[in-house]
Amino acid sequence: ETWRYAFEEALDEVQGKFAQKFKAEVEANSDNEVQLFPFGTLGESVDIMEQAQSGILQFVDQSPGFTGALIPEAQVFFVPYLLPQDQDQLFSFFRNSKAVKELFPPLYAEQGLELLTMFPEGEVMMTTTEPVRAPADLNEVKFRVMTNPLIVESYQAFGATPTPLPWGQVYGALQTGMIQGQENPAFFIESTKMYEVTDYITRPGHNNFTTAVMANKDFYDALSDEDKQVVQNAIAVAFDYILEYQDGLTEESLAKIREAKPAMTITTLTEEERAPFRETAAAVEQKYLEIGGAQAQAILDQMKADLQAASESAQAEAAAAN
Amino acid sequence: MDDSEYVSGLPGFLGVIDVAIARIEAVLLALGVLLMAANTVANVVGRIAGHTIYFSEELNQALIILITFAGISYAARHGRHIRMSAFFDAMPFRSRKLMMILIAAVTSATMFLLTWYSLAYLLEQAGRGRLLPALRIPQWWIIVWAPLGFFLTGIQYGLTTVKNMLDKDIWLSTSTLEGYDDSAEEEV
Amino acid sequence: MTLAIFGTMTVLLLLGFPMMIPLIAGSLIGFVALFGGFGQLDTMVQQILAGIRPASLIAVPMFIFAADIMTRGQSATRLIDLVMAFVGHFKGGLAIATAGACTMFGAVSGSTQATVVAVGGPLRPRMLKSGYNDSFVLALIVNASDIAFLIPPSIGMIIYGVVSGTSISELFIAGIGPGLLILLLFSIYSHVYARRNGVPVEPKSTWAERGTALRRALWPLGFPVIIIGGIYGGFFSPTEAAAACVLYALFLEMAVFREMSLKQLYATAKSTGLITAVVFILVGAGAAFSYVISFAQIPQQVLAGIGIDQMGQYGVLFTISIAFFVGCMFVDPIVVILILVPIFAPVVADIGLDPVLVGTIITLQVAIGSATPPFGCDIFTAIAVFKRPYSEVVRGTPPFILMLLSVAVALIFFPQIALFLRDMAFAK
Ligand code: NA
Ligand code: NA
Repeated sequence: ETWRYAFEEALDEVQGKFAQKFKAEVEANSDNEVQLFPFGTLGESVDIMEQAQSGILQFVDQSPGFTGALIPEAQVFFVPYLLPQDQDQLFSFFRNSKAVKELFPPLYAEQGLELLTMFPEGEVMMTTTEPVRAPADLNEVKFRVMTNPLIVESYQAFGATPTPLPWGQVYGALQTGMIQGQENPAFFIESTKMYEVTDYITRPGHNNFTTAVMANKDFYDALSDEDKQVVQNAIAVAFDYILEYQDGLTEESLAKIREAKPAMTITTLTEEERAPFRETAAAVEQKYLEIGGAQAQAILDQMKADLQAASESAQAEAAAAN
Repeated sequence: MDDSEYVSGLPGFLGVIDVAIARIEAVLLALGVLLMAANTVANVVGRIAGHTIYFSEELNQALIILITFAGISYAARHGRHIRMSAFFDAMPFRSRKLMMILIAAVTSATMFLLTWYSLAYLLEQAGRGRLLPALRIPQWWIIVWAPLGFFLTGIQYGLTTVKNMLDKDIWLSTSTLEGYDDSAEEEV
Repeated sequence: MTLAIFGTMTVLLLLGFPMMIPLIAGSLIGFVALFGGFGQLDTMVQQILAGIRPASLIAVPMFIFAADIMTRGQSATRLIDLVMAFVGHFKGGLAIATAGACTMFGAVSGSTQATVVAVGGPLRPRMLKSGYNDSFVLALIVNASDIAFLIPPSIGMIIYGVVSGTSISELFIAGIGPGLLILLLFSIYSHVYARRNGVPVEPKSTWAERGTALRRALWPLGFPVIIIGGIYGGFFSPTEAAAACVLYALFLEMAVFREMSLKQLYATAKSTGLITAVVFILVGAGAAFSYVISFAQIPQQVLAGIGIDQMGQYGVLFTISIAFFVGCMFVDPIVVILILVPIFAPVVADIGLDPVLVGTIITLQVAIGSATPPFGCDIFTAIAVFKRPYSEVVRGTPPFILMLLSVAVALIFFPQIALFLRDMAFAK
């Protein structure tokens, strides 16, 4: 059988790498063929999601930020400073999270989707035309954000003027000075050339871009046990692969940016500098609870418990290593 | 053409309804365009003042759907849809007449088919409950114009089919005879 | 299936069906064949709606509206009078000014359709009055508008840059050379055309007359200031500049020149809405058709059969040119770039072709395809705006297409046309 799998990025970006691995695993271990449809070839994010719900597509990768319009709870991934900056803790969270593995799947199922996995795509960084060390530096800065209420809220809390803008216009708008900043993971800043039209990359550590892979539920339920196993195994292999792939990806992307544009200033904020940004998180969390749907509180509590567990297990591992 | 002067090609009560629908379509078209300009300008002013209208883009999306689907039936009514008529024009009268009946009938049927499926799409979207992220209203609210526009367009082409069967001339729409109007002065 | 689809579309088109029908029929057949029945046609509706949704398209109705207000009032006439005062005595001067205006406008708006409307709308009546043939005028406007794709900012280049990982700044600079070369060719052709067809020239204006024209055009000269200054000054996106022009045009025609009544404003808005709808339903239907082509992976199948990896540099560049040219004749340019660029990427990398050169060639082909029959979106726009039959809009295009194609070929053999400026700017 031919399975179709669409995602929101280009073939050699993180979602595309995951999809390619998934395809290779499925095709090596079964007679099924997987066709890949990168960003834009079947429409935008919302379109491919609807097609997966309709069953035209069997698999789709959509980031919870976009899914928020459908499953409001998924916006939890936009609460700043919720996810840890430490890579080991982060990976441990995604491997073991009860919220991801038990609380989210029924919410996706209500929308006709089988949630297969969630994985991180990289630390979100600001690229701006002026240096940013403190919220005061964002004052009056028109900062391009995705059209999502929580990101808008976050950047308002940071002191910027959040400016929703279609992705296709961002490069030109940075070039002319219509906006002065935008945020994305390092690999995306590199691949979309955002560094060409900004001079500063700032790492406030406020978030890690998360994405989710799902299948059409009717399709998945109708699979033979054998094929279900093939899918689950391929997802597991691709998950391990993508975490390994990401280990170092951020530094590699930043190195490429430095090489292409030596004048680029890349700053990791210190814990002290992060503190005033971190203080705004509570307000955004409150907003999430307001608009995050019926399960918002349960999801947030579980996420925090999972993160606590991830932090403890990472510390235990570190202690064992010493 | 001033809509107060629009004369329906339809007799009696049908004509009255036709004129009323034409008026509504025209108002929606004009209002849609004016609102779009106002919304876009307001967004600029807002941004410069430091308060971006974060739902501006979604409002424009809603308006462009409104304009497109109010417009396609308005265009059908006035015979303004783009077609390549070079070969058609070269045919003798009888063939053109038969061809126009076929064209209007097939176009009408296609429009009704799309009415059905856009209704299906609309209901599906309503069932999924997707919200527009910034406006936070159900997404299906802004697409109701699609089935409505296809339906009214289907009716226009259906009536054009009938008109061509009953009348001796060849009609592009119920009120427009074939052949482009060359006058640059003509307003639509 | 491919043959059935293209066959049906061509026949319906030639028989004189409204152009949305061949496009819709093409995607209908595709959907029914791909999904074994009518079960998934709701996705076709989704794609029609998705096709008209992109925010950048909003610039089109806004520029239509602004141009319509200017043309009905005095702004357009005064601006053209100013141009004529300087070029009216030169054979083909008005045509060259039109081509130049298209290039300049394209440079800021980034949209070929908006350029057709905003420049063509006011200038076409004057060119007709000056004795140019309409099919020449229409072809000049449609094809000169394509230069908008090559002169930065270019949405096509941005998409290519993102998909292929190429520097967008370098692409922007590389587009300028070929863009100006095309403008030069069009200017020469306009001059020759005016000579051979005996288009009369106006007597050379005196400097006093030029001064008067300039004074009369002072208010309307605010338009280029708003568009160019507004966008490059970082105040507006191109779409917003269009809306700002609407506002300014209303101010001039209603408050300053007092040429327009509220009733006329209503009529103008309605007419803008109608033209928008007629074009956008085709954009939407075209998007649904693109979806079928993309979903069925037709380009992959076609290109897999021709052994592109054995072709060598020129073979690959020619194949790329032809693929994008043909693709854009039927399908939306952005979708063509998104689908085809990844297919060609491996062979481009293997041969070691300069991705900036490839991007420039692709952008040029996309531009040519958009103005080429049967389904060029610029052609639709011209038909809707100028109310001329399809055949008349395309009749004058062959010489222009020929000039564009010769630039395309020149670009393959003399890449410096594109890379010269880039190499200078980036010191490579
Ligand atoms: Na441009
Ligand atoms: Na085309």
